[in-house]
Amino acid sequence: MSDSREGLPAQRRWMTVLQKVGTPLVSAALAVLVGSIIIWASGYDAGAAFAALFKGSLGGPKQIGDTILRAIPLIFTGLAVGYGFRAGLFNIGAEGQLFLGGLAAAWLGVVLAGLPWIIVVPIMIIASALAGAAWAFIPAILKARIGAHEVITTMMFTYIGRYLVSWLVIGPLKAPGQIPQTVAIPPEAQLPRIQELFSAGTLEALPFLQLGRAHLGIVVAVLMAVLVWVILKYTTLGYENRAVGFNPWASETAGISVQWTTVKALCISGALAGLAGSVEVMGVHHRLFDQFSSGFGFTGIAVALLAKNHPIGVIPAALLFGALSAGAGTMQFEADVPQKIILIIQALVIFFVAAEEIVLWFVRRRQKEAMSHAG
Amino acid sequence: MLGDIITPDLFASAFRMATPLALAAIGGTICERSGVVNIALEGIMLTGAFFGTAAVLATGSPWFGVLMAMVAGVVISAIHAFASVNLKADQVVSGTAINLLALGVTGFLMERWYGHPGTTDPIKTLGPILRLTAEGGGFLGEVWRWVNGIFLTHTPIVYITVLIAIFAQWAIYNTRWGLRLRAMGEHPRAVDTVGVNVYRGRWVAVLMSGALAGLAGANLTIEQVGSFTENMTNGRGFIALAANIFGRWTALGSYGASLLFGLADGLQIKLQILRDVIRIPPQFFLMLPYVLTVVVLAGVIGRAVAPAAVGEPYEKKG
Repeated sequence: MSDSREGLPAQRRWMTVLQKVGTPLVSAALAVLVGSIIIWASGYDAGAAFAALFKGSLGGPKQIGDTILRAIPLIFTGLAVGYGFRAGLFNIGAEGQLFLGGLAAAWLGVVLAGLPWIIVVPIMIIASALAGAAWAFIPAILKARIGAHEVITTMMFTYIGRYLVSWLVIGPLKAPGQIPQTVAIPPEAQLPRIQELFSAGTLEALPFLQLGRAHLGIVVAVLMAVLVWVILKYTTLGYENRAVGFNPWASETAGISVQWTTVKALCISGALAGLAGSVEVMGVHHRLFDQFSSGFGFTGIAVALLAKNHPIGVIPAALLFGALSAGAGTMQFEADVPQKIILIIQALVIFFVAAEEIVLWFVRRRQKEAMSHAG
Repeated sequence: MLGDIITPDLFASAFRMATPLALAAIGGTICERSGVVNIALEGIMLTGAFFGTAAVLATGSPWFGVLMAMVAGVVISAIHAFASVNLKADQVVSGTAINLLALGVTGFLMERWYGHPGTTDPIKTLGPILRLTAEGGGFLGEVWRWVNGIFLTHTPIVYITVLIAIFAQWAIYNTRWGLRLRAMGEHPRAVDTVGVNVYRGRWVAVLMSGALAGLAGANLTIEQVGSFTENMTNGRGFIALAANIFGRWTALGSYGASLLFGLADGLQIKLQILRDVIRIPPQFFLMLPYVLTVVVLAGVIGRAVAPAAVGEPYEKKG
């Protein structure tokens, strides 16, 4: 008896650490496991599928570059959704804010052609954040003032934003030619690829730097993750955000304006999602078209949940989903498994993180075994 | 020009377009009345639409397709029930997982079974029940043309939905099941205290919403479109949630709100046909249902009160 009582605090500490890092890891592992059962049960070669998935995402510097490339927008949308969650808000409409951010970047990149990059790039980045925030503003006001559920309103604004962009790329902003897309932004408005920063000789000597399409947006993304972490941990803004998410009634009593904090939280979330749009335009496509995002806003939900809404945790979570998405093409090509399996794995990750009980059941069982061995 | 827009067909299309929304919205009403938020309606509807289509493609029987759509809706909603009721998961997050899962599973199976993404082959559909002639002159002939055009040209599920709305309204307010359902969403502890199994009650409510949203999917594919396209529900599940709120968590209210959205949708399609006359880009018409949803939500909330315990997992004690 006394043994277990003495062991309790340490054990509890171990449990919390395990829950913080362990449950996401177990969730991700369970999701991949169930995903491979689905692949196998559908009559595919699961082993070949995962070999191809691995090859396409981590098989070499170019593939690792592809993983990074896809993780970049996911870091931003993961931060966006996570920041909202920390205030108790579910910004399911990051995809729409991303479209508006991409629109701002694609438009300004062309309008400001001729100016040096040191002026153009910051303006584009800031403008895309503002555009994303603006797209979240009406849902934010509606949530704060009358309690309209942000899940419905931000989702509706996603559809509205997508139709808006689809009209602009067919209509007023259409580049000459058959394809509905905007004019390409000039090189000084683009985020360069990482391998372009090094000379051919350096790349020859250090082949791991040949990261293919991965671009400098990764630096912006990591810096932004650190910034969001600092804001949440060390500023009044972040404190109020967390307090309202934790307990709005107590916050109100303590003198924090829940309404104003809600508006700020959803707009900052929208701004972060808007940045995802700008890095995609500036680093990858260099222009805007209808399908320029492959659901990064929605994947951001899985990223945020897997990261337990921690800004730094968003980086590895985004890399995981980036790797899945980078490898999916190779998997389809070599093992014939439809890429849609990635969506299923994403859904399973969200499910397992939400249904922590399942995961905790595994953890507790492990623990029980460990204790019975000790006893 | 107005005569080209205000036709019996416009109001008939309002009923048609309202049907999938209303079925999902009534499902949402039942589910939320029991205390479980169901933002998975979108994904459940998509699942029903896909498996309904697949069943028709396999057997050639539209009614078997309708049945399978409902079964598929029940099966996928069981995941939501398990997560929300037994595992006490965040219901909105669990719903999001199901929406993504539905998108993934339908897309995955589409490629596995039919060898390509996008749209399936056309299927045998359910046609209108009645095919009355709309002839005859004079005032009475004109009245008949309108009545027939608006009310008597529909496919079976459109009528079934009206019956479901009326029946659900009656059942929620006049049966023991309905009383318990409402009490579970307001004060589950009290219901538990008098010996009603809250877990089972919520399970049943979630599965019912699954069957209704599955039926909504069947209406989309087996009655309206005649094939399945990936992600074809296009936000209808979320609009249905708004319809449920606008209808103040009642079945008839949900139906009425869905009719409003259906009318907007019908109008949008009519106006697109006239786009040579009215020079507005079609994308703005396509935005209309989504804009209307936000406007409706902005206008109604504050006066509409959600069930008190909605979204809160219930923990049985002792």
